[in-house]
Amino acid sequence: MQDVSQPAVQGAIRLIFEHDADGVRLVLQQAVNLAVTGFDVHPDVRPGHYVEIRDAAGTALTRVPVHTAFTGSTEVFPEDHGEPITRVDASGQPGAFTVVVPAPEAAAQIAVVRIAPAAPSAPKPGAEMRSPAPAEPEVTDLASFPIERAK
Amino acid sequence: MTTADGSVIGTTQIFGSAPANRAFNVVLLAEGFTAAQQAAFDTACATFLTAFRTTPPYDELSPAINVFRVNVSSTDSGADDPTSAGGTGATARTYFDASFGGNGIRRLLICNNTTALTVAAAQVPQFTVVLVVVNSAVYGGSGGSIGTYSLAVGATEIALHEMGHTAYGLADEYPYYAGGAETGHDHHPATEPTEPNVTINSARATLKWGWAVASTTAIPTMSNPDCSTVDSRPSPVPAGTVGLFEGAHYYHCGAYRPEYDCKMRNLSVPFCHVCRQVIWNRIEPLSTLPARDRTPISVVARYPEHLDVFAVAANGRTMSDWWDRSSGWAGWFQVSGGIASPGGHGSPVTSIARYSGHLDLFVVGTDNRIYSCWWDVSGGWSSWFALGGLIAATGSTVNVVARYTDHLDLFTTASDGKIMSTWWDARSGWAGWFQVSGGVAAAGATVTAIARYPFHLDLFTVGTDNRIYSCWWDDRSGWSGWFQLGGLVARPDSTVTVLARYPDHLDLFTTASDGKIMSTWWDARSGWAGWFQVSGGVASPGSPVTAISRYSNHLDLFVVGTDNRIYSTWWHDTTGWAGWFNVSGGIAKPGSEVAAISRVTEHIDVFVVGSDGIVYSTWWDGSGGWAGWFQLGIT
Ligand SMILES: [Zn+2]
Ligand SMILES: [Zn+2]
Repeated sequence: MQDVSQPAVQGAIRLIFEHDADGVRLVLQQAVNLAVTGFDVHPDVRPGHYVEIRDAAGTALTRVPVHTAFTGSTEVFPEDHGEPITRVDASGQPGAFTVVVPAPEAAAQIAVVRIAPAAPSAPKPGAEMRSPAPAEPEVTDLASFPIERAK
Repeated sequence: MTTADGSVIGTTQIFGSAPANRAFNVVLLAEGFTAAQQAAFDTACATFLTAFRTTPPYDELSPAINVFRVNVSSTDSGADDPTSAGGTGATARTYFDASFGGNGIRRLLICNNTTALTVAAAQVPQFTVVLVVVNSAVYGGSGGSIGTYSLAVGATEIALHEMGHTAYGLADEYPYYAGGAETGHDHHPATEPTEPNVTINSARATLKWGWAVASTTAIPTMSNPDCSTVDSRPSPVPAGTVGLFEGAHYYHCGAYRPEYDCKMRNLSVPFCHVCRQVIWNRIEPLSTLPARDRTPISVVARYPEHLDVFAVAANGRTMSDWWDRSSGWAGWFQVSGGIASPGGHGSPVTSIARYSGHLDLFVVGTDNRIYSCWWDVSGGWSSWFALGGLIAATGSTVNVVARYTDHLDLFTTASDGKIMSTWWDARSGWAGWFQVSGGVAAAGATVTAIARYPFHLDLFTVGTDNRIYSCWWDDRSGWSGWFQLGGLVARPDSTVTVLARYPDHLDLFTTASDGKIMSTWWDARSGWAGWFQVSGGVASPGSPVTAISRYSNHLDLFVVGTDNRIYSTWWHDTTGWAGWFNVSGGIAKPGSEVAAISRVTEHIDVFVVGSDGIVYSTWWDGSGGWAGWFQLGIT
């Protein structure tokens, strides 16, 4: 079958942030023609740090995870690979990170957020398996910025 | 010590041919190489490329991977190496300001991350990960948002480990924070880590990598007898065994890793099976899906702006893709390691959304037992679990109905053709399998069910005499006996498609033994009508009829015709049946099924396996008519 009408790839934005003990700053936003996979824009809510795209009313449209910033430590690698990888404290040290987020038509704001873990619910085994009751995630804003559409 | 200490020379793609907007793009940046030393950077990039491409699973993912090198000249060669951290005291004026001795540790090699990310964004706007290659023979590196490593032997391993964090969100699997002698790392906190490759849960049935654990492997596979220290005993099982090994995520006890060893635990060892699967599920969605011939496609709209699609890949894996109005198509990924039965029609995946934040899936596994898993907005995907001991007919379909939010009814055929059912209720869990009113289906027939009311079910199938049969269940009277619907002789592998446009009415569609597309209806006031052929239509052998109702007085039908073209017709109460027409020139695999859904009344989304074996989609919109077909993958 001929692929006659691949839908236009939606807009996405590359964002580069810097962070240190004083907070988070947005240092670059750049339109980019890039497909963001469901691996990153996963629809299930998981604790962690995210960059969230919101509409003008502040409603979250989509979010992608920030995997490596805000960990408070950094890894030290052994020259002899049989030796342990270790971690050292790096809290408050300056760093930078980047994400690419889908930019739907309604996108107006960017927020760096932390989603807190939900209260633990012990899973039940085997035939008793059922899903936990849905819980509203606790989302804390670390910083927010307007989207520049001029690009 | 800034970007004044050099300049960006240019960018060269050294591997891959994937379109950059649908690829995993790795960028290597030169640091501490003078203009005259660029050939040494090129050589270092070639060395990295070899290590990267030969590391499973990247060796199998090349079609979606590109690698670029960005040649950058620095005024001086090398990196700072302060004496305070045991270095030589060398200083070098370099573009990214690299320095050994971070945190007073010589081999902690750091650089200006903002500059590295900014240069990468300017040179390769679609980059996925950035690695800074530092021109020094001194061993060093670091992670975080970018990976940094030197030319010392083995330092590329640092980059591969760090990509595990930055690109996939994998956890560290090592069982210590500072090598094992630290305090305060005996017991992992009682909060489940979100990362896919570590857990505090030691229950086999709910283990998040349960799909990868053989039933013969002990759980836990290895427990640490002394939580004050790291368990340094050898593995009790052969390398590559997936199980539950205590000691992970910086703690000696209370957290588990999937295999004895993994690149997220030690450098220079392979990624474990679970980490390899995570990497697959990040990169493979960039490609289209070669589907199993005749795989039915299951599609669910949990809410009008979202679709979840399920299909079986050519190699038998249970795959999903989803669309959301805010982010487009997500790309195909494997559902919790699921493998559908290799036999028969293709062991379709059945999916249902009991409410907007939840999906339940059903499939027949390679052992012909029925498996289920779920997705929940608050917990993501569960592992697959078997539903009792029923051995289903090879290639059977599991049909599922939710009469109300907290209840599921399942129907399928056993290996001897018996029509079997079970149910799940939120209050009581899963019931056992039972045969429905002594019914036996023809080989290859499916059992179709519909709930016109929360207290009523209607079932349809093809009997061993190839006639269409029905029975019903009502909560006041229980199961009725099976009764024949007219004299129609169907194909033994026919599916009876049923729709209730309103609660006191049913429309049935199926294919006769000669392929004719036949329909009948039932109405509470007039009972069953006779069978009639729909607009002269004839289906490709084995192709079922798909029907949706966007209004109570309107039907849309889809089928693959004898010429393998994809056809549609409609019925409207004032105009009757329209003629069959080809949908946007589409051609499907012989005998395959068309999936259709109407997530809003003036819109239809349609899915098929095209004649080339790839999954395609198109849509109809009340304002714009039919769109063209597109390969379903990522947008
Ligand atoms: Zn690590
Ligand atoms: Zn692993």
